[in-house]
Amino acid sequence: MKFDLVIAGVGGQGNILASQVIAKCAMDAGYNIVNTETKGAAQRGGSVLSHVRVSTDEIFSPLVPAGQADVLLGFEPLEALRFIGLLNKNGRFIINTAPIRTILSNMNVDEYPTTQQMVENIKSRGLQGYFLDATQAAKELGNILLTNVIMLGAFTEISDLLPGDVILQKLLSQVEEKFHADDTKAFEAGRKLIQSKMK
Amino acid sequence: MLGNEAIARAAAESGVKVVAGYPGTPSTEIVDLCGSYPGVYAEWSANEKHAFEVATAASLTNQRSMAVMKHNGTNAAADFLMHVCFTGIRAGMVLISADDPGGLSSQCEEDTRILIHKYAHLPVFDPSSVQEAYAMTKAAFELSEQTELVFALRPVMRINHAGSLVEYGEVLPSNRKVEFVIDRSRFVMSAVVEKESGGELRPKMRHRWLNAKQKELKALMEASPFNWLEDAPGETGFIGCGIGYAFIKEAQQILGRKLPILKLSTLPLAEEKVLAFVRGRKRVVVFEEIEPVVATLIKALCFEHKISLEVLGRDTYLPQEGELSTNFVLTAIEAASAGKPYPVAAKSEYVPARTRTQCSGCSHRGLLIAMKEVVRKNGGVVTGDIGCHDAGTFDPIKLQATIYCMGSSIPMAYGIKKAGFDKPVYALIGDSTFFHNGLTGLASAISNNGDVIVVVAYNSTTAMTGFQPHPGSSNNLSQPTTPIDPGTVAAAMGAKVFRCNPYNVEETIEVLVAATAATGVRVVVAEALCYLRFSREGKISFVPKNISIDREVCNGCGLCVRTFGCPAITLVDGKANIESSGCNGCGVCVFVCKQGAIK
Repeated sequence: MKFDLVIAGVGGQGNILASQVIAKCAMDAGYNIVNTETKGAAQRGGSVLSHVRVSTDEIFSPLVPAGQADVLLGFEPLEALRFIGLLNKNGRFIINTAPIRTILSNMNVDEYPTTQQMVENIKSRGLQGYFLDATQAAKELGNILLTNVIMLGAFTEISDLLPGDVILQKLLSQVEEKFHADDTKAFEAGRKLIQSKMK
Repeated sequence: MLGNEAIARAAAESGVKVVAGYPGTPSTEIVDLCGSYPGVYAEWSANEKHAFEVATAASLTNQRSMAVMKHNGTNAAADFLMHVCFTGIRAGMVLISADDPGGLSSQCEEDTRILIHKYAHLPVFDPSSVQEAYAMTKAAFELSEQTELVFALRPVMRINHAGSLVEYGEVLPSNRKVEFVIDRSRFVMSAVVEKESGGELRPKMRHRWLNAKQKELKALMEASPFNWLEDAPGETGFIGCGIGYAFIKEAQQILGRKLPILKLSTLPLAEEKVLAFVRGRKRVVVFEEIEPVVATLIKALCFEHKISLEVLGRDTYLPQEGELSTNFVLTAIEAASAGKPYPVAAKSEYVPARTRTQCSGCSHRGLLIAMKEVVRKNGGVVTGDIGCHDAGTFDPIKLQATIYCMGSSIPMAYGIKKAGFDKPVYALIGDSTFFHNGLTGLASAISNNGDVIVVVAYNSTTAMTGFQPHPGSSNNLSQPTTPIDPGTVAAAMGAKVFRCNPYNVEETIEVLVAATAATGVRVVVAEALCYLRFSREGKISFVPKNISIDREVCNGCGLCVRTFGCPAITLVDGKANIESSGCNGCGVCVFVCKQGAIK
């Protein structure tokens, strides 16, 4: 068994926490794991990509090769598009459609694609997955910082790798107690968003 | 465990007593982590050369030691490296020289195996996994002590920052005798005549000593558990060095067939293993980060042994620049096995880039805007340096005209004036960099009657690498220290010193204008705490304001977005908008809006 996950997002979105929660759960479940991040300038609004590799065999490289990821979580649509080539043909994605514009696109040096353009670009590749507005859902729960927890909850609905409740408990063990109620709500909201799209 | 945690753990288990380094991605965490082990003294030195010197001194005092740096730092320490190789050391000593293939978090990509092995003739271990980085660090301490030579570990970014399961051992108390034995014939590197060796000069004698050591090193590497052969039939063999081996193994998993593989993770080369592997083969492909170091050594070895072999390395076959990857290796395996050239990569579609910028609330943004305003009017030039403020060279601010390495801004700035440039020239340098290698540049400027305005962005931390302290900070790792004020130092050296708070853009412009009007070497100290680092402790250098945009007054000119670049400001429906959750209330943007719409 091997399972490769990549999480693409923007610095500050909580990408690394989400990937570490999954990696720790996989480790507890007795799998081999290797994970890494590209985060050089992450806290300054840069692109962040986390790699989580889980296997019953030896894992040699920390990086998920192109066309090998089983799941891609896109916390931001442009970042999902940037790394969509990592997903394998049978892989699945969950992409948050709320854009975070780039500085260059704000300046009109680059053109930030419309959500529709990004969605169509990804759909045209014949890949399976879900688009959802996790940022909006987080705002409705009162805190935009819950976006990553919603995405994590959503992930547990499309992967049999680890039980959803185990991932939630691991997440809660990593954050301060005052956040537990909101995180639990956000996690469930993410699960429900996917369930409603599966119907 | 992260690669950096594994290296720190292995050092602690090996009884390391003194660890010194200067922060630099990807090796930074090692120093902090070493300091967390009881009985280990860890410090941030002012620069990598001094870290190397402190660690060597500990080794000469019979205590195990480690110097930690990234590749640029090894360059800064190269002068000392080229002396310690000739003297050798006493207690086991390891140099961590982390490379950054692809320059993911660096100003340049370079291969420090060349400096350490081909130049200084010291042994290098190149780990292929986190577990191996741990094992190599432990072995390096033992072998260093045995051979009296500094051993280097050259991890790459993907080892330092990879997390994996690691089997590790116990940290046992070390009770080595603290002992400094004077031996001038070894530890005084000087052109003196050595009577005992028939009047030879010492540098030549020590060079002979180092050359004689190579035989011992070669024998060690031949027997090393870090090099091995995985035989399989095939006229094309694959050689993996360091992480190159990991990518070959993954490619083999994907291909589902056994490949002939030679793993070479040490320098000097395990020559007998190479000879055994290449005999009977038509070609080998050598996967190594970053330069063709091993490939070139293999070519020379085959030439000596009159073996005809195609050696396909990064100079002759594979892309010469950038990071290796499994995909890269898969492509090469397929092409080389078919005797074809490495295919030219198809141009990928451009996805709008996310460039780095200053954080919301960063004091550098006020300074950059003020400098931009002054330079725009007087036509001056700004030379840049390393640190968070370097993002000022990108869109939208585009201030600094040059960025090279630590401390270059000051000599380059006064050099432009010496060449006859008739407009003002400014050097923009951060505080950590100022102490790292800026002080000597400032001395050079002053002693040569330079005409330059040096702007020191004094935010009290090495922010770029994750907030390590420096000589201008009030602590070093866990111990409190007395901060050195850059302005006081500059004044003592003879510079005219000016001060400002960069959150106050008007004041900063006035100070910059006054400094520009003065003559000689002027130093402007722009002092304000790093927002990201110190706001956590409730310490900030501005009075937070509730910033909002008056949409009636905003005429949608977009100047605040086009010239300022604060992540909290965007244009929504043609007018400026401040995302309150992203705004820290520094108020620098109020200056930027010519309409007075930002309040």
